[in-house]
Amino acid sequence: MIIRACALLFLSSLLLAGGCSDGPKTTGMKVYRHSLNGSPTSLDPAQSATIYANHVVVNIYDTLYSYKYLARPYQIKPNLAAAMPDVSEDGLTYTIRIKKGVEFTDDPAFPDGKGRELTAADFVYSLKRHFDPKTRSQGSWFWSGRIKGMADWKQAGSDYDKEVEGLKALDRYTIRIILNKPFPQLVHTLAQGYSAIVPHEAVNYYGREFSVRPVGSGPFRLQTFDSVRAVLVRNPKYRKEPIDLAYEGYDEAIHGKFGIEKIEGRAPPLVDRLEIHFIQESLSRWNSFTKGDEIQYAGIPKELLDDVLARKQPNVLLKPEYAQRFFMTSGIETGFVHTDFNMADPEIGYNKDKRREEMNHALRCAIRYAFNWHERNKRFYNDMGVIFPGIIPPVVPEYDPDGPKDSLEYSPEKGKKLLEEAGWTADKLPTLTYGGVAQVDTRQIFEQYRGWLTKIGYPKEKIVFDSYASFGDFNKAVKQAKIKIVGMGWGLDYPDAENTLQLFYGPNGSPGSNNANFNDPEYNRLYEQSAVMQPSPERTKLYRRMNQIVLDSCVTISGLSRQEILLWHKNVVSYPDRSIVGGFHLKYVDIEEAGK
Amino acid sequence: MEMLQYALRKFITGIPLIIGVTLISFLLMVYFGPDKTYELVGKNATEEQIQEIRHQLGYDKPFVARYLEYLKELATFDFGYSDSTGERVNSILKRTVPISLALITPGFVLGNLLGIALALVAAYYRGHWLDKLIMGGSVVGMSVSFLIVIIAFQILLSSNDGLGWFPVRGWNVYSFWDYLRYITVPTLATVFVALGYNTRFYRAVIVEEMGRDHVRTAKAFGTPPGELLFKHILKNAMIPIITRIMFSIPLVVISGSLLVESYFGIPGVGKVTFDAITTGDQPILKAVVGITAVLFVIVLILNDIFYKLVDPRVSLK
Repeated sequence: MIIRACALLFLSSLLLAGGCSDGPKTTGMKVYRHSLNGSPTSLDPAQSATIYANHVVVNIYDTLYSYKYLARPYQIKPNLAAAMPDVSEDGLTYTIRIKKGVEFTDDPAFPDGKGRELTAADFVYSLKRHFDPKTRSQGSWFWSGRIKGMADWKQAGSDYDKEVEGLKALDRYTIRIILNKPFPQLVHTLAQGYSAIVPHEAVNYYGREFSVRPVGSGPFRLQTFDSVRAVLVRNPKYRKEPIDLAYEGYDEAIHGKFGIEKIEGRAPPLVDRLEIHFIQESLSRWNSFTKGDEIQYAGIPKELLDDVLARKQPNVLLKPEYAQRFFMTSGIETGFVHTDFNMADPEIGYNKDKRREEMNHALRCAIRYAFNWHERNKRFYNDMGVIFPGIIPPVVPEYDPDGPKDSLEYSPEKGKKLLEEAGWTADKLPTLTYGGVAQVDTRQIFEQYRGWLTKIGYPKEKIVFDSYASFGDFNKAVKQAKIKIVGMGWGLDYPDAENTLQLFYGPNGSPGSNNANFNDPEYNRLYEQSAVMQPSPERTKLYRRMNQIVLDSCVTISGLSRQEILLWHKNVVSYPDRSIVGGFHLKYVDIEEAGK
Repeated sequence: MEMLQYALRKFITGIPLIIGVTLISFLLMVYFGPDKTYELVGKNATEEQIQEIRHQLGYDKPFVARYLEYLKELATFDFGYSDSTGERVNSILKRTVPISLALITPGFVLGNLLGIALALVAAYYRGHWLDKLIMGGSVVGMSVSFLIVIIAFQILLSSNDGLGWFPVRGWNVYSFWDYLRYITVPTLATVFVALGYNTRFYRAVIVEEMGRDHVRTAKAFGTPPGELLFKHILKNAMIPIITRIMFSIPLVVISGSLLVESYFGIPGVGKVTFDAITTGDQPILKAVVGITAVLFVIVLILNDIFYKLVDPRVSLK
């Protein structure tokens, strides 16, 4: 009996020892618990393709530039860079000076365990990594073909000891980038998590595991990271830069009610411990948020919108019981959803037979007439999305609010007529494959779409759902141009319409970002012309012309920007942002009362 | 000594089973599983980058070479690095398996012990209202979706709309008290569902045992109910009970519980395994499948040894 009891005790201790770890000493510490609806897989900046990864990466590492905390429209500002870059008159040479005395956090990767000073050479190394196949970079496309000599460097075997003509550290604190042709968005790319600066010692020391053992110079350093959360703690070596709210875009009318003025003059980061929880289950996230002592920031689950909101339109308003407990901001996302036709498919896109190509054009336009944006918005986006014509979403300055809206018209009659005029009959119509990941939402979207198409006389059995088990498989089919109709979403990397216009640039066709495989000579010419231009009314004119070409070609049914509603606890001083400012805002978050 | 020899012999005969399981699983992973390449490429990839990643993942190697590599990994217990996170697979398992064990074990033990206890009562009072009540409860446990049970328990016991006694989610376990706080609701949800299946199964086994001659004889001799149930019935029903419990162990150890871990925000092996399946993270899948196969062989051996312990008539030869 005694032996059995001992064995039981021993087993229990083992179990407990396995599940427990040394407790964090959070007494007196300011702890902020943020939540995200997805999780990052890698914290290597070169692989930080998702907003989830970006939220963590930009808080551990430094980027040369970032975005002003409160200014809208978004404004870029120096971060690790001492100032905005000096750009040569031809727009090809960028000279960037970085701040002195910035150090990496202490880590066993460094010879004596002490983090050394970050220098211009570290930036050069970090950008070169993207062109080293071993890195598995997901962000190299930002700079591919743009930096002088980089392609040759890669071709020659990505030897870090060899110099790249267009990417040099002129001295310890000066970087020079020479471009093949002007790239006005370069500074924006240097504000992305991809461009974060890593020390070569850590990359070499941790090897493959560098992706989960980040070593940076950002406001926080990583304490733990797993599938459900990342715990970051204040980096004691982070440079002291007092917050200048006026510079950050503070507006009393907008930000005053959130208590933001309390952080004026203080040096970020303002909390001691930052926990980022990755919670995909919306109800679980909501229960945790409303509990009061768990996560302090969340969105509202779709199924609870009517319970939580007093009004959805024109301005979102919380019910009093929630407004009493939480702060809220709302606004449209910096991206949009759209449905593309695969132009590489001769049955619906380009065709050697010119007559058939014209018929295909009529078919695509007819399908667009069948698309009921109002219903889509109502059923899937709570009637809160903003519908706009084309591929320049309302969030960028180049958006034309007065542009023609005929591409958004829902008219099955016109669609039917268009099909008849083009010579389409039920037997001639091709079988349409609509691709998507095997999920309830995707299936419902497809069924709604199929219902609309039957209204223009499309036989139901000729519209089929091509279901894929994982996003990887779906992406593979898209990148191999195997699907006729592709429902997609795009989140802007930076607030410039170039980032969405490149989605229809011919040379970016599959496996590139141009999933529609659109290849229009005039569009390509205009893209190349505008791609080297600084923001100006002339460039905006070109952007809008390109938007019109896409609409006239009926290559996509677009678009809708979803509404984002962000809530946070009232003892949290914050102005959250999910996309462009994104993770950068977390170093400005403050808690009014430290944990007891 | 006899037992050790038996275990060794049995393990050797289990090797073809391990090879069979791993071969079929690997075949499915390679030819029918998700292609990881397209999860890893950037938004604007080139054909060259796709080929580079395929090469790094080893997708361009012949199947036989890849499978032999897998067997070597299994033999050396070194599964390399996760294709998703880049972390060593062994480190992932070392971190997540103990958490899953700590999470699931109380529910597993309680679910089985209570299941046996309820089954004994139900079987003893067969046809009585008590039996019907227990069996009715079991059907409810079996019928309600686990997801609904989790959400309901979470709202009732953890959320602000309910009692709010326990954390909604998370795993900040640094003391025994924390441990109790974090596992109570997941355990209750697990027990609620497991009880249904366990009670029905164990009741059927016990009822069968109750009809045997030796039980009838013991009853005729006036054996008290407690002695009858525990000494004459339960002991003889232990073989199917042991089999059921033992064969659940490998899944408890390595697979965790995806739903519980996801909804309660617990960083266990269940979520890691699920993510590996849906994204095609082969190094993790190979480890999970391989270790599960080895554990099954070990369980088979232990099972036979336990048979021998509870029933001396069983021979290990």
